[in-house]
Amino acid sequence: MSEPGILSALFLSLAPANLLACLIGAVMGTLVGVLPGLGPAAAMALVLPATFRLGPTAGLIMLAGIYYGSMYGGSTTSILVNVPGEPASVVTAIDGYQMARKGRAGAALAISAIGSFIAGTITVIALQIFAPLLANVALAFGPAEYFSLTLLGLIVLSNLTGKSRVKSLLMVAVGLMISTIGMDPLGGVGRFTFNYTPAQGGLSFIAVTAGLFGVAEVLSMLAERETPREILPVRWRELYPSREEFQRSLPPIFRGTVVGFLVGLIPGPAATIASFTSYGLERRLSRHRDEFGQGAIEAVAGPESANNAATSGGMVPLLSLGLPFTPATAVLLSGMLIHGITPGPLLLRDHPNIFWAVIGSFYLGNIMLLILNLPLVGLFANVARIPPRYLMPAVLVLCIIGAYSDNNSLFDVWVMLAAGIIGYLLRHYDYEPAPLVLGLVLGPVIERSLLQALTMSQGNIAGLWASPISATLLVAAAVAALWPLFLQGGRDLKPFRSN
Amino acid sequence: MKILRWNKKGILGGLLILVLILTLAGCGGTGNPGQKAGEGTKKPEEPAKVDFPTKPIEMTVLFGAGSGADLLARKVADIASKDLGQPVTVVNRTGAGGAVGYNYVKGQEANGYSIVWNSNSINTAYHAGNMNFDYTAFRGVVELTTEPVSIAVKADAPWKDINEFIDYAKKNPGKVRIGNSGKGSFTHLAAVALENKTGAKFTHVPFGQGLAVASLLGNKIEATVQLPAEIVAQVKAKEVRILAITGENRLASLPDVPTFKEKGVDLTLSLWRGIAVPKGTPEVVIKRLEQAFKKVADSPDFKAFAKEMGASVEFRGAKDFDQFIAQQDKELSVLMEQIGMKKQ
Repeated sequence: MSEPGILSALFLSLAPANLLACLIGAVMGTLVGVLPGLGPAAAMALVLPATFRLGPTAGLIMLAGIYYGSMYGGSTTSILVNVPGEPASVVTAIDGYQMARKGRAGAALAISAIGSFIAGTITVIALQIFAPLLANVALAFGPAEYFSLTLLGLIVLSNLTGKSRVKSLLMVAVGLMISTIGMDPLGGVGRFTFNYTPAQGGLSFIAVTAGLFGVAEVLSMLAERETPREILPVRWRELYPSREEFQRSLPPIFRGTVVGFLVGLIPGPAATIASFTSYGLERRLSRHRDEFGQGAIEAVAGPESANNAATSGGMVPLLSLGLPFTPATAVLLSGMLIHGITPGPLLLRDHPNIFWAVIGSFYLGNIMLLILNLPLVGLFANVARIPPRYLMPAVLVLCIIGAYSDNNSLFDVWVMLAAGIIGYLLRHYDYEPAPLVLGLVLGPVIERSLLQALTMSQGNIAGLWASPISATLLVAAAVAALWPLFLQGGRDLKPFRSN
Repeated sequence: MKILRWNKKGILGGLLILVLILTLAGCGGTGNPGQKAGEGTKKPEEPAKVDFPTKPIEMTVLFGAGSGADLLARKVADIASKDLGQPVTVVNRTGAGGAVGYNYVKGQEANGYSIVWNSNSINTAYHAGNMNFDYTAFRGVVELTTEPVSIAVKADAPWKDINEFIDYAKKNPGKVRIGNSGKGSFTHLAAVALENKTGAKFTHVPFGQGLAVASLLGNKIEATVQLPAEIVAQVKAKEVRILAITGENRLASLPDVPTFKEKGVDLTLSLWRGIAVPKGTPEVVIKRLEQAFKKVADSPDFKAFAKEMGASVEFRGAKDFDQFIAQQDKELSVLMEQIGMKKQ
């Protein structure tokens, strides 16, 4: 990783054609992130045929642009209208939307763009230096280790907002239960499908999220007796974060970066897990803990940095092993194979120009996205000022389009509407939807890895803790599960505290 | 209860949502009246001139964006749209081993504007009980590609060739853990077929995308049974060795890898892919599509692409393709019965 290499990489990615490819990719990625439904993997597959003509370098730069651009855009609808555009932005909606309701939409958007930029830039440096080393870490994780890690995550992250533990666990359980709908994760058996073919694909994550957050928000607005207070027009300077907000955001951004990058090494919904982890971490560390859930800037800064860092983390197994751990990196791998480039240990040796140009485009793309997104903050922040009677129908339309476009299936739209009504009731009775989403995301991972681990040990349950990593994680999970009982003597377990 | 205290605006809004729901329900039920009108104007009895296609064709892909099936399909669509003069748009309708997509296309107007990028999944999805119709609900248009299945081990594994590997698996039943890409998937079937032909006994571990190879590299399993495209990167990096492939011939992209046949194991199995349309599609339309996709098979561009993806171009016209699918259905049905996956 010599100095001239990096310089020539930046030089290559500065060629006009590559610059343009990077810009187009970044813009497309932002759009994909903003609109719920169409994810980065689908968008990248969409432009894949175009890369045939672009040539390998520009083609890959464009694909990469979409990949990380989508993480910039994902927060926008979360913050403005409580509709997470990407699964990884679900936790951003919790506090981001509250900030928007208080007139601080601009600050939330700007901080998430800046956080994404810092995380993106730092992790590309980390990617460059540590990729070969970390690749071996990724390989140390087999099914048994994933199972233990996911179990730990489920326990630690379930009580995300720190309200009632029982309600949170209940929501996680519901999420796990509905995650079993459809084909079992290893294929073979359809469950709870009533022989209805569209249900065999399971409940669309996008549909459930759009319903629980977006549609539920629309219904709540309808049900509110008086029209919500109009948000006062803000002066231009106040659109952007104040000095205090900025200072409060910086530590979460750096912590989110580290968390996101490490979680990104793991297969599965890494960006989502990263953002949940960061939220949980910030809530425990923050001096403004009481503000969490009411619009804490840390709760936007951390997760948004984490999900961006996770996209770089996901590049580690791809670039150094040639293994895609997420659908989006799978498309990127295909984009390379199409042009006769084989990622993996030989990438740097066989195609140094392409390797460095792609790395260079990461730096450049992050700068571009920041320049692109900061002026948009002013524009987007105005969305939060649109009176609900105009905004909410638009939100509903957005949700329906998002749910439909995920699988091009009307069944998903029905799921979304049902989830919306359920989400409204849950909110009314003070149940958090975020733990349900967590259960839904982690359910298939935990089930799949458990089945795989047990198959590999030929049914012997000791196989789950055969490796030291797995055993350590399981012990940690047990401690995390029992900790509140010791600490608070069951005080927190009283189910129905007065609201 | 506060929840019931809806104001006038709330009720109005609720009604609006109700109307929306009913409209959606309508969308689900009715077909596309515009298409019906279009079909009425052309007479299938006049094969001389075909007014097809006059609008974009939608190609349903049964597996996710970025999967091997998806990438080949997008290339095919790209080339075919040039000859057809109309765009061929790819839409992924995934789930239930392909059943979700087949079900959708079967329910569309049989006018050639809704086609499916099909594969052996038409056989396996039916026999696994995922759908209540089989391949006879469709007409084959063309077969375009085949992909063999590869058995791979780590580069430093003790087995020199496939025969040694099989011997070991025979002497140590269940000791070799072999990662496939899902229970009942084609790769799983291939591993079971290998057991049947040789008497070896494996422990089959089902994985998702990319993860079987990661587990192989991480020494969690002893071997993988995968489509070559999934593993070619690691082979080139000399981290993994492919012991044999199930194809009739060697692969152009992996010329050093022998076939099972060469190694004295009577195992030939290939994953084919092609284009199908719902039954009842006019003969002239099928002809026109066949003609367009034949050009895809002939194009050097596609041949090079398929090679890169670890596939070979294998062309069969509409009639041959239908017969081929019927014959494949019998073979796969037998295999699935053996692993206890056959439900119908």
